[in-house]
Amino acid sequence: MFSRRSLLAGATALGGTSLLPSLAHAKGIVTAATYPGSWEEAYRTVVAPALKKAHDIDLELQPLYAVDQIAKVRAARGAPPFDAFVLDPGPRITGIDGGLFEKFDGKKISNASKLPAGMIDEWGICVGAQVVGIGYNPKKLPKPKGWKDLLSDPWVSRLGITGFQTTFGTVSLIEIAKAFGGSETNVEPAFVELKKVLPKIAAVGNPAAMAGLLQQGQCDITYTNIQTVAILKSRGVDIEFVKPDSGAVAFFTTMHIAKGAADAENAYKYFDTVVSKAVGDALVQPPHNFIPVNKEVVLPPSLPMTNLDEMSTYVRHDWSKINPLRAAWIEKFNKEMAK
Amino acid sequence: MNKLAEWQLTLPLALAFAAIFLAPLLMLVGVSFFNDDKITEPGFAQWAKFYGDPFSYKVIGDTMLLGVKTVCATILVGYPLALVYLDAPQRLQKVLIFIIVMPLLLSVVVRTFAWIVVLGREGVVNQLLLSLGIISEPLRLLQTELGLVISLTQIEMPLMLLPLISVMSRLDPNLRDASAALGASRWRTLFTVIVPLSMPGLVAGCLLVFASSTTAFISQTVIGGVRLIYLPLLIWQQSLVVFNWPFAAVVSISLLVSVLTVVSALSWLGRRSGGYVHG
Repeated sequence: MFSRRSLLAGATALGGTSLLPSLAHAKGIVTAATYPGSWEEAYRTVVAPALKKAHDIDLELQPLYAVDQIAKVRAARGAPPFDAFVLDPGPRITGIDGGLFEKFDGKKISNASKLPAGMIDEWGICVGAQVVGIGYNPKKLPKPKGWKDLLSDPWVSRLGITGFQTTFGTVSLIEIAKAFGGSETNVEPAFVELKKVLPKIAAVGNPAAMAGLLQQGQCDITYTNIQTVAILKSRGVDIEFVKPDSGAVAFFTTMHIAKGAADAENAYKYFDTVVSKAVGDALVQPPHNFIPVNKEVVLPPSLPMTNLDEMSTYVRHDWSKINPLRAAWIEKFNKEMAK
Repeated sequence: MNKLAEWQLTLPLALAFAAIFLAPLLMLVGVSFFNDDKITEPGFAQWAKFYGDPFSYKVIGDTMLLGVKTVCATILVGYPLALVYLDAPQRLQKVLIFIIVMPLLLSVVVRTFAWIVVLGREGVVNQLLLSLGIISEPLRLLQTELGLVISLTQIEMPLMLLPLISVMSRLDPNLRDASAALGASRWRTLFTVIVPLSMPGLVAGCLLVFASSTTAFISQTVIGGVRLIYLPLLIWQQSLVVFNWPFAAVVSISLLVSVLTVVSALSWLGRRSGGYVHG
């Protein structure tokens, strides 16, 4: 069977696009990007049936990392391959700067009143939060107190680190820098301290490989998000999440409508479903362990907060300041860490 | 069929090739000549940045060296295996060819992640060596160049063996008998008869393994980690994380040219050896 996207792509190539908008809207479909892995699985099993039930809309998911979504829509130049983005704060700023989003109309979200203030802005809607801290194996290591511990014995010789290419990696390295006198825009102290202990560090890995490296005991401690810890735990890996003494880091995951989206109205219904209480109640449970934004969702004890208001005490970062510096940080990380 | 009609038959493929390979390649070259990541200001800044940085030469060198090491390792392991295949009875040959092709039936991602299990600190190799008392502390195999070359050798092995076996199985068995009858030892027969005659297959295998291992982004980053930096990692970072497409284009072209240079040298060697064999 041809999907709507492949049909659209084929028709575009044949110059028949003018005939298609009515066809595309008739079916009640929304094409949404989602993160590969746990997000894709959760959205396929929970959100898709809920959207179909509530609005008779089929959800077509495209598993793509945030950076891949931005790259694809940039390359597509006005004919996006999906209607809805799901992004972390860094790529969200890149998307806004690149003019990749349609303006967002918060009035179309019926669940808006159930979200904390500031969850909807002119560019999109927050659909979940991520909390970053330290994941460690309690059978192999004592409990670390904070970011500084990562670079000292006994933790450093079992430490796995990743670079600035992911959101969780970037915020963790910023927090390490802060622990040694740096700031959100000055990560130099992190480089200095990492360089000192580099030969001892167990693994400097690709973010996609970190779960495997932890599972195989290549490293026993790393910075990570609470969801990864929950998933690994559910698979029998000895791992616990620790909120560092300076506070865990929180950032929000947002959704946006791609500029030139074919099914913008359906995308609003999709967002509304994602932030609904029913979907939140399901996604907050294992094995998904998502942190919801709907205030009516009861948080289970497995999450590090008892209510969403507590999130305001978590460490947050200004990605409009981080984004312009990130390229240089990545380059420096390559050079400093290279063998 | 006249000559013109034969030429016309190649048109669909040539057009497809132009559309899906040549045009993007030209675009890639075009994009590299822009100074800014928004692709608005033409210039040579990205070329100057890449080739003005000594680190780039180290990365190019390391990438090419990884290819060379993988090629050498696949020859060392693959050539004896091809000789075993050559001498094996037909039924065993079928089994061998199945074993050789089997890795190709698995996704490279699965093969790569399997190597984490094999080479990890608590992996199969370390567990075995520890239990035999050969080592007292686990060896560091993952995230080292040695570990990467070992895994790439297995991952790329079919690309070496298939052309090698295809050429070697066409060798006339009488040549070996003739060599033996003229008094040559088995080693002498190997180096003066079999190896020269199998050279076209060997060169084709080297070419495929080299091109594939230097561009094996997943294996390089997952098994090698990010302390071993090769050109594909730089391309990925610049195109998908930093969104500096002009710089990513410069690195891509550099990778393409570096690989093509070695591949061309190998092809030239292949043509020479082909001439030697047949002429």
